[in-house]
Amino acid sequence: MNAIYAFGLLILLAFLGSRFIVRRRSLSPLHYIFLSGLVYIFLGMYLGKVGLNILSPQVLNELTPLLSLGLGWIGFLFGFQFEGKYLRRFSKKYIGLSFLKSSFVFFLVYVVIFFLVRKLYFVQSPFLLYGIVLAFGLLATVNSPTLLSAASFALSSKGDYYYLARFLTSVSGFWGILGLALLFSFWHFPFFDSRIILKGSVLFLISTIVPIIFGYLFYLSTKKRTSEQDILVYLLGFIFFVSGAAFYFNLSPLYVSMVMGITYSNLTKIHERLYPLLLSVEKPLYIVFLILIGAIWEFKFDINIAILILAFLCSRALGYVLPMRTFRFLLGFPFPLPHLFGFSFLSFGGIGIAFAVSLKLAYAMELTEIFLSVAMISIIVSDLLSPWFLKVSLLRLDSKEHE
Amino acid sequence: MIALVVIFIFMLLLKTSVFFPFANPEKGTSIALGFILIFAFLFGKQVSRLKLPQITGFILAGILCGPYVLKFLNAGQVSDLQLLDGLALSLIALTAGGEMEIDRLKSQLKSITSLIVFQTSTIILGFLLFGLLGREFFPFFSSLTILQTLATSLLIGTLAAATSPASTIAIITETRSKGKYTDLVLSVAVVKDFVVILLFALFLSLLKPVFFPEQGFDIGIFSQILREVGGSVVLGIVVGGGIILYLKYIKREMTIFILSVAFFTYQISHNYGYHPLLICLVAGFLVENFSPHGDRFIQAIEKTSLPVYIVFFAISGASLNLDALRSSWLLALIFVIWRGLLKFIGTYAGASFVKEDRAVRTSSWAGFISQAGVALGLAILVEKNFPQWKGVFLSLVIAIIAINQIIGPILLQKLLTKVQEVGKKDLDSY
Repeated sequence: MNAIYAFGLLILLAFLGSRFIVRRRSLSPLHYIFLSGLVYIFLGMYLGKVGLNILSPQVLNELTPLLSLGLGWIGFLFGFQFEGKYLRRFSKKYIGLSFLKSSFVFFLVYVVIFFLVRKLYFVQSPFLLYGIVLAFGLLATVNSPTLLSAASFALSSKGDYYYLARFLTSVSGFWGILGLALLFSFWHFPFFDSRIILKGSVLFLISTIVPIIFGYLFYLSTKKRTSEQDILVYLLGFIFFVSGAAFYFNLSPLYVSMVMGITYSNLTKIHERLYPLLLSVEKPLYIVFLILIGAIWEFKFDINIAILILAFLCSRALGYVLPMRTFRFLLGFPFPLPHLFGFSFLSFGGIGIAFAVSLKLAYAMELTEIFLSVAMISIIVSDLLSPWFLKVSLLRLDSKEHE
Repeated sequence: MIALVVIFIFMLLLKTSVFFPFANPEKGTSIALGFILIFAFLFGKQVSRLKLPQITGFILAGILCGPYVLKFLNAGQVSDLQLLDGLALSLIALTAGGEMEIDRLKSQLKSITSLIVFQTSTIILGFLLFGLLGREFFPFFSSLTILQTLATSLLIGTLAAATSPASTIAIITETRSKGKYTDLVLSVAVVKDFVVILLFALFLSLLKPVFFPEQGFDIGIFSQILREVGGSVVLGIVVGGGIILYLKYIKREMTIFILSVAFFTYQISHNYGYHPLLICLVAGFLVENFSPHGDRFIQAIEKTSLPVYIVFFAISGASLNLDALRSSWLLALIFVIWRGLLKFIGTYAGASFVKEDRAVRTSSWAGFISQAGVALGLAILVEKNFPQWKGVFLSLVIAIIAINQIIGPILLQKLLTKVQEVGKKDLDSY
């Protein structure tokens, strides 16, 4: 009976989604909740252990390969956009700004959360404490271009700010994912291990080289004229394999798939054939992924978590807003970078969710459970508020530019 | 080919102790699934060069990587993948139902009925005869009384009559076949599934007193199976109706909707004992015949059919119990040959009765050899009801299914090639 009920709910959501998304173009939070897929996280929570228990722990265990595929898919797609030919079109200052922006946010969030976690929780092992705080810092650097794409209709003509923001939100996640890969590689070993640097570096090297090899194999497999169905099998197979290998070795599935995506993107010449295929599979896979994440998320909320969320969101927002003018000065940017511009980077999107959940999946313990709750609630709040912030920042800046 | 070799070496390396300090063997299902997807696909390609169906390659790859040969997939992982396997089966059944157009069924109704009646009765009678004549020679029968031998033979005969609609639809999709023979083979395979399940329920209820005289006629099993079949058909109508409404009013997110249908059908079937195959067959049939968007729906499923087939058949291969095959291969082989012969006789008689052409009379038997889930499910039911057989019956049936599942698709492909219906679907779309 529950299954029929849940199925009805899914149809209702699809119906509401079709009303909200297809027929209207709006930047309201309600519209964005459907557009970004956040609604499916709530559906997943309802179907999971805390709700109808259709996606029971046993069912979720059987569906783990789909979670792994979802993480791998997001990583691969993210990496696929790093095509040298495309990146070379942008000034080095853009990449510099992406790095500086991410570094500043990372350090600010790291300091704030480090202080708070030490105060609020009794963490016996410094090894765990540093790891979790690093994860918070890295998560803060992740942005998504989805909101900007959705907002493009509201711009009469797109200016420098829009394109800069699109570039930065598209590529900045790279630094966070790279940092996450390092964290995963070193977290394998006890902090007091004398050869931790060597062992961690070797593992990081492995998590880089293996996906390069498989990216090359994927390229070799699709080099000759291959049908769309065959490409789909290779794509799914290699992503399953590489992200599954990451799971198997407790490495970051996002990172290894991203490296495979970068490798493949820079070797293949069939981008035009591949994009429609990627897009046709992306959405269903993403929705399934979000539903599963909602189901595995054991929702936790107390005063400590509330404080962490507030601190995380505020320090992240400040980290994006405060240093903009300094960055312009440091990089010699050709146009002003007002504080307001920083508000364009608040949306986390799917990559943020994938980032948050990958840590919990690899290291299931109380602290990562807290991390997941703080991260998920922060992502949801931030993504709900980000359309409004976008209105007061980018849209205003671009309209001023055209005046 | 290089990809195949490299991932094969990689998987072999994973089995060595070098990686043990870093590895999490309990998280190995995803990597195993990725491996089997690529391996089975490439293996299927190699097999198709030998003019054999790709799904035979998928099954063989599954056997090779499964828990009895290379052990890349262990029994626990195979069991973890059952849900994905169930999802794949639901998708295949939706396609199978969607391939059956009511007009074409009507035009072939006489032939379908005749083939089902003659095939089923010939096989059941043939196995009764086999039991009677062969009971002295096989240890399995020697411990039974004559009445018990006949009862067991009746159950084996009913199981033997079943054909796998999943394999049939997979071969039809793979070879892009279309035409009279394709329709006939598919329709008979699908409809016969209903008949076999019902007959089986009836015989199981009737025969239980032969083994347990104190129990009397067990109406319970019969009514339970009748409820399952009836419930599945009703659920199929509900699901089909739901899909039609969705296609009419919402239309969006087709892939996610189809996946949800498959998942919830599997869940409901799993929890309440219904048949996902029947539910999806009925639903697919309704959508195809009672909605103007039926073709769009089936096309949306077919777009992703290749990975679905690979996963389904590779897991089927990995699930085949080779120990069972090893222990009873001789008897199983005899049963397979005998079943094939009876299929030929039954099909010939059925086709002659309705004056079908020569190709149907002499060749279409080859389309009804493959066996899979339904036969296995029914065999498990037998084991539950007759625990004194201690797995002997199940091992025998598994061994028979293993052989039939390998040779069945090959024979069906040969049949479709012979009647020149391979690739006709592509021609139609031009």
